[in-house]
Amino acid sequence: MSVVVERSPVPSWLSDRITNRHLVAIGVGWVTFFFVFPVLFLVVESINFGDGHPLQAYQRAMGGVYLAAFVRSFLYGIVTTLVTLALAYALAYYLVFSSKRVRLLLTLVVVPLWIAYIIRYFGVLLFFSPTGPLAQSFGIETDLLFTTTAVIIGLANAYLPFAVLPIYNSLNAIHHETINASRTLGAGQLRTIYSVVLPLSMPGVVAAGVIVFILSAGSFLGPDILGGSGQSMIANEIARAFLEAFNIQLASALAVIYTILLIGFIAIFNAVFDLQEALGNL
Amino acid sequence: MLEVNGLTKYYGDLCAVNDVGFRIDEGEFVTLLGPSGCGKTTLLHMIAGLREPTEGEVTLRSENVTNLPPEERNIGMAFQSTALFPHMTVRENIAYGLRMHGYDEEERHARVQEFLELVDLPNHDDHRPGELSGGQQQRVSLARALAYEPDILLLDEPLTGLDRVLREEMRQWLMTLQRELGVTSLYVTHDQEDALSMSDKVVVLDDGEIQQVDHPQAIYEQPVNDFVAEFVGKSMQFSGPIRNDGPRPFVDAGDTCVVLPNDSVSSDREEVSLYVRPEDVNIEAAQATADGGATTVAATEENAFPGTIEKVSNLGNRAEVTATLESGETALASTNRFPHLEVGDEVLVTFDSESVIVL
Repeated sequence: MSVVVERSPVPSWLSDRITNRHLVAIGVGWVTFFFVFPVLFLVVESINFGDGHPLQAYQRAMGGVYLAAFVRSFLYGIVTTLVTLALAYALAYYLVFSSKRVRLLLTLVVVPLWIAYIIRYFGVLLFFSPTGPLAQSFGIETDLLFTTTAVIIGLANAYLPFAVLPIYNSLNAIHHETINASRTLGAGQLRTIYSVVLPLSMPGVVAAGVIVFILSAGSFLGPDILGGSGQSMIANEIARAFLEAFNIQLASALAVIYTILLIGFIAIFNAVFDLQEALGNL
Repeated sequence: MLEVNGLTKYYGDLCAVNDVGFRIDEGEFVTLLGPSGCGKTTLLHMIAGLREPTEGEVTLRSENVTNLPPEERNIGMAFQSTALFPHMTVRENIAYGLRMHGYDEEERHARVQEFLELVDLPNHDDHRPGELSGGQQQRVSLARALAYEPDILLLDEPLTGLDRVLREEMRQWLMTLQRELGVTSLYVTHDQEDALSMSDKVVVLDDGEIQQVDHPQAIYEQPVNDFVAEFVGKSMQFSGPIRNDGPRPFVDAGDTCVVLPNDSVSSDREEVSLYVRPEDVNIEAAQATADGGATTVAATEENAFPGTIEKVSNLGNRAEVTATLESGETALASTNRFPHLEVGDEVLVTFDSESVIVL
């Protein structure tokens, strides 16, 4: 009688020593060491151990320009997310259902990611500037620069690829016969998009929305390059407190508040949509 | 009821469907049978309005619907993948078509219940399609396609994904349902058993062209060309020129002669193909003669050939026996269950000359 031993692709001298726990430990260890510890360190830094109130930095952080920057970050985040989702959905829809050059177009969507954000924002800056092609060749003076609109355009432009890919994936996973079924059941093209395609692509839309929101609400370069003093977002205020005012206590307090707000926001989002499902489908 | 005229579809230079025409009468169950890639799905999609024909027209209830989109054709369609909406419950799936056809809330509720009972799933209205078995999903998909009383039911290989036992059960069930409702149906399949067991009429398609349109028995017993004879059912084959210089017409198939039915009228020397269905072939152990030769009997009978058993496939209720004739042809016979034959046995293969199909 021979005993059949199930063979693992990993050699036994290795698999005997390394268990799944070890593999998890690498990832968890990395995050703990480089994310959890630094954030905890920020918490410690944000508390005042000298004279005055221990939480005096927090009192400052929740008022005035900082409160405005928090509100602005979330508003810009939401508007950028909506604009980006609309653009990305249209593009992904075209890629999946109409295009014959899917590979080429997908590559073109991804290519901008190879270029540094700062370069891309400068590109937008030049495009809208009085010496840019719009003004020089077409005589269109937009006056867009250093306005909220310019910031939103820049952010949507920068994060579009992150939204196209998950939406493309979930649209691509829709079985074509489901769409045919809707048509034969008497639903027109628009009705089919609304009742079948849109709901079935929701996981991709939700995933894209979360990614774009987190990225854009925390954006530093976009408002820095394309916005004026009135477009300052929370990342800009934190940077200013750190690098210009050298107020590490205040900067830390701002960072801690922002982190808590973002976690809270994602928790609420998760309660409404099933993020596990949405991100798991990527 | 449904009439298709000169329907043609080109994909670039490739002709997928070529000048196809046939008609379906009220209440008929017609099957479109053909191998995969023969254009049957393209044809069905053109009838449904999911693809635009290059040429030709589709007439439904004497209205030309060739240029109408699918939602304006009042058709019901069941798909191989079931195509149920995974994000809706069974009830919502069935109600979807009803809503699109203008049924109000109350009627929708009543109809969903009625059709769920009709497909034997009365208590599954709150389930998601993913929670149902393959057979149940297909039944929901049929209920969805039928609930709003379409003019015609189009079925695109709905039984293909199911296992054999379930498939046979579903066939029976589908036939009963179709007769009960009297709904005109067009069923697309590559499975000849589906086609022969369910249809009033079979349209055999190959290479985008119609090969034969007839009722199932005629398709099996009187195929009009080699494709139909070979695609539908198994058979034993010979080929060679016809000779009329004997007492009866026969075919000179190399080392053997096959006597043809009396009424086969063909010119002398014309090359023909012969087919004999396995049910018409008889295989029995050769009786050894005194001098040990097993073949002496053969010479005395017409269409009797000595051979050797190659394979015996017991299928339970019957068996399929394959034998190689001394002349080199392969003989296939359907016999009674568990025949007392073994591989290598010397046998005598016989068939009635009247059962020979001459093409």
